[in-house]
Amino acid sequence: MSILNKEYELYVSVKPVRREIRVLGIESTSHTFGVGIVEYSGGRVKFLANAYSQYKPTSGGIHPRESFLHHVNNAPSVLRKALELAKLGIKEVDAIAVAVGPGLGPCLRVGASLARFLSAYYGKPIVAVNHAVAHIEIGKLVSGFVDPVIVYVSGGNTMILVQKNKKYRVMGETLDIPLGNLLDTFAREAGIAPPYVVEGKHAVDICAEWSREYIALPYTVKGCDLSFSGLLTAALKIARETRGDKEKLGTVCRSLRETAFNMLVEVTERTLMLTSKNSILLVGGVASNTELRRKFEYIAEHYGVGFYGTPPEIAGDNGLMIAYTGLLHYLYGLIKEPNSVFIKQRHRLDEEEYPWLP
Amino acid sequence: MATIEGRNTILLSRGAEAEVYLVDFFGLRAVMKKRISKKYRAKLFDEVFIRNRTRVEARILSELYEAGLIVPSVLFVDEENGVLIVEYIEGVRASESFEKFDLGKATSISRRIGGFAARMHSLGIYHGDYTLANVLLRESEVYVIDFGLSGYSSDVEEYAIDLHLMVRSIKASRPLDAEVLIKAMLDEYGSHYRGDYREVINRMKEISVRGRYIDREVRKSIMRERYIA
Repeated sequence: MSILNKEYELYVSVKPVRREIRVLGIESTSHTFGVGIVEYSGGRVKFLANAYSQYKPTSGGIHPRESFLHHVNNAPSVLRKALELAKLGIKEVDAIAVAVGPGLGPCLRVGASLARFLSAYYGKPIVAVNHAVAHIEIGKLVSGFVDPVIVYVSGGNTMILVQKNKKYRVMGETLDIPLGNLLDTFAREAGIAPPYVVEGKHAVDICAEWSREYIALPYTVKGCDLSFSGLLTAALKIARETRGDKEKLGTVCRSLRETAFNMLVEVTERTLMLTSKNSILLVGGVASNTELRRKFEYIAEHYGVGFYGTPPEIAGDNGLMIAYTGLLHYLYGLIKEPNSVFIKQRHRLDEEEYPWLP
Repeated sequence: MATIEGRNTILLSRGAEAEVYLVDFFGLRAVMKKRISKKYRAKLFDEVFIRNRTRVEARILSELYEAGLIVPSVLFVDEENGVLIVEYIEGVRASESFEKFDLGKATSISRRIGGFAARMHSLGIYHGDYTLANVLLRESEVYVIDFGLSGYSSDVEEYAIDLHLMVRSIKASRPLDAEVLIKAMLDEYGSHYRGDYREVINRMKEISVRGRYIDREVRKSIMRERYIA
């Protein structure tokens, strides 16, 4: 079931606007080049288009230059497809939003250049969006949660957040590698990837089904912070000793996944107890993992709080979330001139205030 | 267990990991910490987890107590069921009262917190969740509680994390005089830590810039010291 053409109530109150506002969002922080379009009218947000093209390495991980070339080659067709889906001409768009970071420099530049061009050539205001904030904002919109405990897990981030005084506040985060990176690196080094994802299932999840056993692996939780690098090293060491034994490798995958997810769930629980929020929102690329969702459903039920995990379409990187977050910026007048928009590879989400936050 | 789960059992708090009860332990007022089994964990992990954490917590508490540090004394341990019973300390959590004290009293508490950490680390033990929420104040005594995440290590990294967490906690509680309080804590730490305390302090600074997407220049300026020195 597609989320396109669905409408969502905008939870923030802004002064009424007389006509529809349409924002086009461009995402190019990592392996995905995406363009999304949203429409706002009468206090409701409608998703008009979500087009994308993904760079899939044939060997190894994401090579920034290869990903950059992919984006350059695919940008025009993805943009055209998004406009076609929305049945719009670029002139009917009110603003251009672009993810300026955090991400890979060469990749970010593709999106930023395209956005600056569209903005300057067609005379549209431009909005600079933080990629991480966009993941969270679209999750909040679709779930209807206004003030949840936010768990953001992807290939580049692992964070537990809450909102306070118009800022995102990081309660806990990874001290070294993110959860998605742990799974990808393990899969690659153990020889079960690429492809990293087959029919919506990660290589580690597929491998985990080869066994029913568990072994103990390092479990590192420091307060609300996490550390996955020791777990990765230990799991790889054992994986190398399996020498192609499918069942033994399956045991390692199963234990790696179980250990990493338990760590994440534990710090989420702790944050939930510390902050007494009444819902949990799971966003980011790893949010579509069914095993992780199952664990979160357990604790949500145990504590009697709401849980929502963003569906795959908007969990991974996409242009729609940039467009929607761009819309929020636009409604609050946070617009820029094209010559003042720069990419920012290191762009933490807890540095700035966002006026729509509680 | 029959003697413990009697009429006088009162639930004190329900944490993420355990339930804490005020109990009557053979006529003594005591605190019972019962670790809860989690459905989301695979059975094997759950059992190992509960057993290990209970065992380590009990062992470390008794070791610190014997070394003369101010912690509640251990009365009873049941590893299989994840039950730990310790002495009841009737005090207030520093996280609730710290911001209300005058600067003199807050400074004196910070100093004791620093001294406690130094003596604990000198025994090769780290706390793992060293924040104001785990400091209990009873009259002039400063108790440190909840060793659920503690462990043994000779790595300064673990010690530095304790200090890092406490610094963050003090900053959050009293942002205006945090600087004075943190200095008091670290000075006291320096005069009681058995090894080279500057190593721990430097590592602590490094940890604070270790999160992801921190400004490169800020990080470089702090990390440089480690590699050049």
